[in-house]
Amino acid sequence: MSDPADRAARLLRWYPRSWRDRYGEEFAELLTAEAQDRPRCWRRSADVAVHGLLARLACAGLTSRVQPPAARLAAVAGALAAFTALAIAMLAQLATGWQWATPRSDLVTGATLVMAVAAAGIVLTGVGGLVPVMVRVLIAIIRRDRAVLRPADLALAGVLTLTAGAWHFANSWPGTGGTGPGRAFVPGGLAAFGWSSTLSLSSFWAHPALLMRFPAGELAWMAASPLAAAVTVLAAGSALRRLQLPAPLTRYLARLAQAATVFAAVLLAGAVSWLLAAGAVTPGLFRPGLVDGAELLAMAGALAVAATLGRGLSRRNAATATGRASLT
Amino acid sequence: MKYRLPIHRSPIYDGDVPQPSAEGTPLVTFGRYAGPATLILSSLADGPKHGYALTKDIEEFAGVRLAPGTLYEALSRLEGQGLIAALASEDRRRPYELTAAGAEALGAHLADQRRVADVGLRRLSKSWGQT
Repeated sequence: MSDPADRAARLLRWYPRSWRDRYGEEFAELLTAEAQDRPRCWRRSADVAVHGLLARLACAGLTSRVQPPAARLAAVAGALAAFTALAIAMLAQLATGWQWATPRSDLVTGATLVMAVAAAGIVLTGVGGLVPVMVRVLIAIIRRDRAVLRPADLALAGVLTLTAGAWHFANSWPGTGGTGPGRAFVPGGLAAFGWSSTLSLSSFWAHPALLMRFPAGELAWMAASPLAAAVTVLAAGSALRRLQLPAPLTRYLARLAQAATVFAAVLLAGAVSWLLAAGAVTPGLFRPGLVDGAELLAMAGALAVAATLGRGLSRRNAATATGRASLT
Repeated sequence: MKYRLPIHRSPIYDGDVPQPSAEGTPLVTFGRYAGPATLILSSLADGPKHGYALTKDIEEFAGVRLAPGTLYEALSRLEGQGLIAALASEDRRRPYELTAAGAEALGAHLADQRRVADVGLRRLSKSWGQT
């Protein structure tokens, strides 16, 4: 049987590192003292587990608790990244169609164009935010700041894995060889990269017999790529939270996040238009499936999270600007 | 056959319902942690205590044993709002003390609760003869 100190140390792992850094020692003391009063108590363990998980959610900015701007910013960026991944999957499907034919419906054409322009807007705002953040990361690397180095390394490993894998599997892109008039309009390489990087978002998961016919390497990529994406987003968020961002940069990033949220709303509107216009009448290439409906719901959820957290961020910025931050 | 239990329906809102202050006390924002936070502030009102001492004291005066996760969630919220402050510790157990803002918040919150308790007791006395 382990001693109370060991059990306390194990229970403490439910909490995020930042919480443990602040309260870990005293909390472990309390748990040890409690364990001496009552050696085994499942309610105590459950209470610690629940509050540890809540602290992790709070740390990610996903609860109503007031978070530091960097944590909230990281949560908004994570939600927007999830939205963008789903949007890329949807757009890659449409881009495949464009390689072979143009949509017969003007509504579908218009919706696709709106989605593409909005996606470009999200990517541009993302790049606009990434550049100054990368400068801060480089400064942290030069200063050997290990708190930032570890998650930054992990995020880089995730990006490299995603890029290499997507590059490799783009060769089996179904759009290859298309001769449609829209082929010149949609850059084939970009569409292929989008398709292979989001290969895991597929309705084939619901058809195991068909899925098993895939090459083993492709199946492995379908399983590994979402993990790599999740690791990238979580590690990048962790690095962002640990960077000591100056207030003007935080405000700039908050404005970019708001702009990206607006673009995301436009993209979502385009996606809804496509689903409504093409759902019943369009055969073949531009016809949405159930997986698109599911993606749309997930995109709406991610957008709602980004918008809610982003609003809190702007309120907090306003409060800081007027010297009321301590009262929020 | 269904029976409806007789419920004594004397007028509930007769003008002496306590009205919380316009801004509310800071503890209003604590949601389901308002109860633990009130207990913690009440315990700290007679001097600084660390986590385990808080648990024992609260158990003694309120008959409630706060679980560790709940206790520290409330403690971190109270500290975040500046209602309590951590003191320098000689060992791994860190004591907390009530701040002036915490004392004011506790006073306002307990006064609100007292008004509710007064109304309830007065009505019980009037309608049910309880003292």
